[in-house]
Amino acid sequence: MKTSKALPPIAKIIGYTLEDEMRQKSFVIMFGICAMGVFLIRGCYGGNYVVNGQTLDAGTVVRALSKVSFHIIATGVMIVAALLSMQLFRRDRNEGMLSFVLSKPIARWQYVTGKIVGIWLLSALFMFILHGIVCLITSVNLKVFMPEYLVASLVCSLNLLFVVIAVLFLSLLMPDSVAFLFVLGVGIVGFVADGIVAASQSQMAQAMMQQSGAGSESNLTWWKVVYQLWPKLLGVQRMASSLTESESSRGFGSLYPLINISIYCVIIGVLLFKRFSTEDII
Amino acid sequence: MIQLKNVTKRYDSLTAVDEVSFSVERGECFALLGPNGAGKTTIVKMLLDFTPPTSGSLSLNGIPSSDARCRASIGYLAENHHIPLSLSGWRYLLRCAELLEINRSDAMDQCRSIVELIGMQGREHAKVGTYSKGMIQRFGLGAALMGDPKLLILDEPTSGLDPIGIREIRQLLESLKGQGMTIFLNSHLLSEVEKICDTAAIINRGKLLVKDAISALVKDGDTLEELFVRVVTG
Repeated sequence: MKTSKALPPIAKIIGYTLEDEMRQKSFVIMFGICAMGVFLIRGCYGGNYVVNGQTLDAGTVVRALSKVSFHIIATGVMIVAALLSMQLFRRDRNEGMLSFVLSKPIARWQYVTGKIVGIWLLSALFMFILHGIVCLITSVNLKVFMPEYLVASLVCSLNLLFVVIAVLFLSLLMPDSVAFLFVLGVGIVGFVADGIVAASQSQMAQAMMQQSGAGSESNLTWWKVVYQLWPKLLGVQRMASSLTESESSRGFGSLYPLINISIYCVIIGVLLFKRFSTEDII
Repeated sequence: MIQLKNVTKRYDSLTAVDEVSFSVERGECFALLGPNGAGKTTIVKMLLDFTPPTSGSLSLNGIPSSDARCRASIGYLAENHHIPLSLSGWRYLLRCAELLEINRSDAMDQCRSIVELIGMQGREHAKVGTYSKGMIQRFGLGAALMGDPKLLILDEPTSGLDPIGIREIRQLLESLKGQGMTIFLNSHLLSEVEKICDTAAIINRGKLLVKDAISALVKDGDTLEELFVRVVTG
């Protein structure tokens, strides 16, 4: 009933968030450095790569480099999104925008939604532009346009939503820098755990585990549960990057990271709205 | 216009506002007085739903203060008002108009007349970072006047202003009062309150001590300041 009236204030808050963030010198500098860094990758595409005495063909090199770039950009922008989110509420409070907006007929949920969507859009656009540059370089080198690379970037933006919501929520409970480090820690643990699991699935690791016996089976099961429930940030990135490859069969397993992160977004989002609704506005 | 019924606000063991009840009628110019830490700003924060009351109820125009709709007809100026340094005063006023859903052409007209009213012509497009505290306060007051509010809640509106600025604000408030606007004023400048307001309430340590018409409170040969000291010190 209120949807048509509720949307314009949210759109305005989104607009103000984008405007205020883009006015920050630190954002402009950060974006400039990242874009320049991505452009510099261009030089790597022209090199000759020799593996086991065999020179790799240009197509393989370009694909491998674009995949590596994809993951680096996706991970880097997650850190940027966390940095943008960590001081969002504090800055609005200190600059008087929080009391200014909430003294108007704007509900708190509209303000929070506007802030989340604003920062998410900004960081997703940031990532999309960087991925777009890589896509352009790849397309020029392979002489084939790869729209799936950009679709993969959009899928990866789910990770950014998780980071934004998590940092915003934690910044209401603890100092901003601790909230940032906490979410960074969650990401690092997830990435390391995914790396360990990937390594443990290698033939050598399987053989070593068989030799050592299955004595700690219960322990392993407990860790497996924790591992499965941990935010699957790398899983989403992998799933997104697989869109750029010619893999046809994707079952529930490959969708699990998306479901995992979506559930986290909903749960932390609800907690954020509940926490902010009782927050004292200064 | 404003109604508080048995409002209490506790922060852990501290009772900031203790069973306060009073009402402010439409068109009234009301001053809430009290020493620092008396609970004045807490009452303002509860009126704007910036903090919920522990018990009791607050309503504006019959609508509970927790309902965002009741803030459509309120203009608010915070104590120690701030504006983002990267904005201009003009952009700040425009944002205010946008949030009040005033259409673009009306918003531009209102911004122009408010800039003139607060005496900031020629400086409205400069960045807020270049403004003095008094100028920021004027733009804050301007934003509070946007959209022709029915109720003006001003928390220390003359803070940071020089004597000429204080006089101008007083004249502006008198003119708004003449137009029938309801004004809720938190101020330490008792001489100004005495000149502008019709009624006043004095609170101390969260308790309402007196509330009456200023003419009834201040007897012949007395001043509001003397009354205030007498009531607060017991």
